[in-house]
Amino acid sequence: MSKPAVMRRMQEIAHVDVNCFYASAERAFNPSLEGKPVIVLSNNDGCAVTRSPEAKRLGIGLGDPWFKLRPRAKEWGLVALSSNYELYGDISARVMELLGRYSAWLEVYSIDEAFLGVKGEPDELLALGRTMKAACRRHVGVPVCVGIAPTKTLAKLCNKWAKNNPTFNGVCRWESVPAEQREALMAKLSVIEIWGVATRLTKRLNAMGIFTIADLTRANPVAIRDKFSIVMMRTVLELQGTPCIPMEEERIGRDQLIFSRSFSTPITTTAGLRQVMSVYAQMASARLAKHDLQAKVLTAFAATSHFNPNEKSFPSVCLALPMPTADPVLLTRAAHALLPQVHEGVKYVRAGIMVTDLRPSGNQNPLELFENPHEERGIGILLEDVAKRYGRGSIGLGHAGIKGGPDWSMKRDMLSPRYITHWDELPLVKAA
Amino acid sequence: MGVIVGPRVIDAGLSLETALLAPVAVAAGYPSPAQDYFDGRIDLNEHLVKDVTSTFIVRVTGQSMERAGISDGDELVVNRAMEPKDGSVVVAVLDGELTIKRLRITPSGVVLQADNPCFPDIEVPTLSELTIWGVATRCLHHV
Repeated sequence: MSKPAVMRRMQEIAHVDVNCFYASAERAFNPSLEGKPVIVLSNNDGCAVTRSPEAKRLGIGLGDPWFKLRPRAKEWGLVALSSNYELYGDISARVMELLGRYSAWLEVYSIDEAFLGVKGEPDELLALGRTMKAACRRHVGVPVCVGIAPTKTLAKLCNKWAKNNPTFNGVCRWESVPAEQREALMAKLSVIEIWGVATRLTKRLNAMGIFTIADLTRANPVAIRDKFSIVMMRTVLELQGTPCIPMEEERIGRDQLIFSRSFSTPITTTAGLRQVMSVYAQMASARLAKHDLQAKVLTAFAATSHFNPNEKSFPSVCLALPMPTADPVLLTRAAHALLPQVHEGVKYVRAGIMVTDLRPSGNQNPLELFENPHEERGIGILLEDVAKRYGRGSIGLGHAGIKGGPDWSMKRDMLSPRYITHWDELPLVKAA
Repeated sequence: MGVIVGPRVIDAGLSLETALLAPVAVAAGYPSPAQDYFDGRIDLNEHLVKDVTSTFIVRVTGQSMERAGISDGDELVVNRAMEPKDGSVVVAVLDGELTIKRLRITPSGVVLQADNPCFPDIEVPTLSELTIWGVATRCLHHV
């Protein structure tokens, strides 16, 4: 094949996300789930928050309550699992570290998806997408799809096509798809399928005669701004190929909060990272309090640049908090658990925290009494010292001191082992 | 299971447990300027885990690999990214279960062996028909 005289080195955005993440993380350690309909339930085993393709084919909807599904589970061969946030948090950190190897900037967009800046000729970009897909499968054991396009909105759209259209084999690049095929695909999808278009806006768009993504792409951005908002105008511009959704530092997902960024000037000291971790932990605390939420699991991470082969350091920790909390002291202390892994003098270009296993505050009354005021009097530190000297479980606040864990109030009957974060729950391999 | 009363502090010196399981920075074969600042204490993570992102720890159940020095109850350090070779001890997926075997790649086919004659070999025509979950690199044997 002849190449054009001038190399077409493109600068594009890749969107990578793990296919039905929670179910895939479970399958990574329990291969017997492969091919079976699997759902993962929300807190208290309430409703289905993740469905494997097999479960979707059974007609199980997102948010279907478990009590309605349970009577037919046996007949369907349906496997339902409680949310195992320690497992998901650790797998997420591994996927993000792996993806960071392929790009100078990585935006962790949610627990299971990221945007990456990628550069190369068209063929190279497609090959890079396939490489990332294969690496996630092989190195961490989870399936991903990749969308590559000039804008974030189009990259997300391409990812959707990659997922739903087997001919793409899980990797779809906007400009590598013939224009007629793109037009046909966009004409088939409702505007609701586009990133950032909410249900209530759909009705108003429909009233203007805009039903499909193809319709919205043809809309006049200024007219859209006047009728809707600058946000909707940006969506239209992005669909037309003009990147205008910037990198974000803070994101609120369905069941996680993420605070992370890449630094323009690398951080080279433990003290510097301590400060970053403190800032993010306090931001998380404020955000949780604002939404009346508490978190049970915190993941903290930092990374050096993958383009500097002489310095490689990818510290990360995923830890269970002693109780669901929005307490800034507790969250900060948890985020600081990253610091012993940090190498002084090494240039860190990215860091962040993610809190998951979110639940409404107020469900943990027995513990709340002991939180803030005591933290301030140094009881937290005293407890930590006692626990260090006499072992975990030797002392605790209120119900946290009872062996068996404070999780008693949370219904999680179908929890898989915390394979990665607890010695006594390691995956078992049979020697027989 | 003990109760965790505070966020677990990762300290490579004091708590092997948490240190080993949490992914940590490991200099894998090239000099790092960071080492100049390192206090020099022996770090088991550095020794045992070469690729933190792809390394997982699993526990063995059963006796079929005892001649390979892998006993019931031992922990194995498994690298999922490593290319399996003839003679590798691998974790393979057999009938939906994670199973530990020695991989033999011969001109006539691929064989999964137990290091114990009481257990039959499993033969497959090609490697692509096997799901190799990972390659065991270290055994943490309980003495």
